[in-house]
Amino acid sequence: MTERTDHDLGEQFHALRREDAAALAAARAWHATAPRRRVLGLAAAAIVVAGVALALLLARRDRRGVPIDLAAVRWKAPTDFLLALPGEELMRTVPKLVTIDSDWRTP
Amino acid sequence: MSPEALERELDQLHAAAFGWALACCGGDRAAAEDALQASYLKVLDGRARFDGRASFRTWLFAVVRNTAAELRRRAALRRLLPLAVLGATPDGQPDPATVLARADGTRRLAAALATLPRRQREVLHLVFYQDLTIAEAAEVAGVSLGTARTHYERGKAALRKLLKAEPE
Repeated sequence: MTERTDHDLGEQFHALRREDAAALAAARAWHATAPRRRVLGLAAAAIVVAGVALALLLARRDRRGVPIDLAAVRWKAPTDFLLALPGEELMRTVPKLVTIDSDWRTP
Repeated sequence: MSPEALERELDQLHAAAFGWALACCGGDRAAAEDALQASYLKVLDGRARFDGRASFRTWLFAVVRNTAAELRRRAALRRLLPLAVLGATPDGQPDPATVLARADGTRRLAAALATLPRRQREVLHLVFYQDLTIAEAAEVAGVSLGTARTHYERGKAALRKLLKAEPE
């Protein structure tokens, strides 16, 4: 226990305690407003997320409106030329035989 | 002790516990808040259990003191690592905002206290700031009554000398 003669020291420590308590009270007041700020922040975030979701939905709906004819889509690989063989065109066409009208035996 | 009673006790002692955490962390407010929060977690999740041998306040202060010491050791270790430059670690020094917020008299007292050895500072804080008896302070600090009394007398003499030497 403190002695009577230590009253001055005790007073100084109590002043320190009062300052700490005041600082703590200020921090508590700030914390008391924190949940309200958090709710407002969450509401703002929810509105932003809902807006983005709506924009995506509309964008997808617009895209669905354009019909894509898969049969018309032709894709050519850039390395296709490696598969080309020399004389390949001869294999893809039916050879045409030339008919000779004149008799080769007559001069 | 039921969880509700525990929370009630912690709430009642919160201001005193914060003052004690500040003293354990050398006036570093952020470190004190960390230490206090970690202590409350220990108490609430049962890692620190009150067995009723001492008063609840004495026991809680001992938990806060041990937790602050743990955090201080961890912070010291982090400062040694090369990654310490990436994040500020508490250095056990009073933060400038706390120092600025203090009145002149208390600022001088805090500065004088900061120069005392840790044990002396702790015992003086517990006796004068928290109004504990020297026996209770000894319990919180984990030392014998005789040792606590020695720290108290030496600390008091050193503090008076420092305060007298300081210009008004």
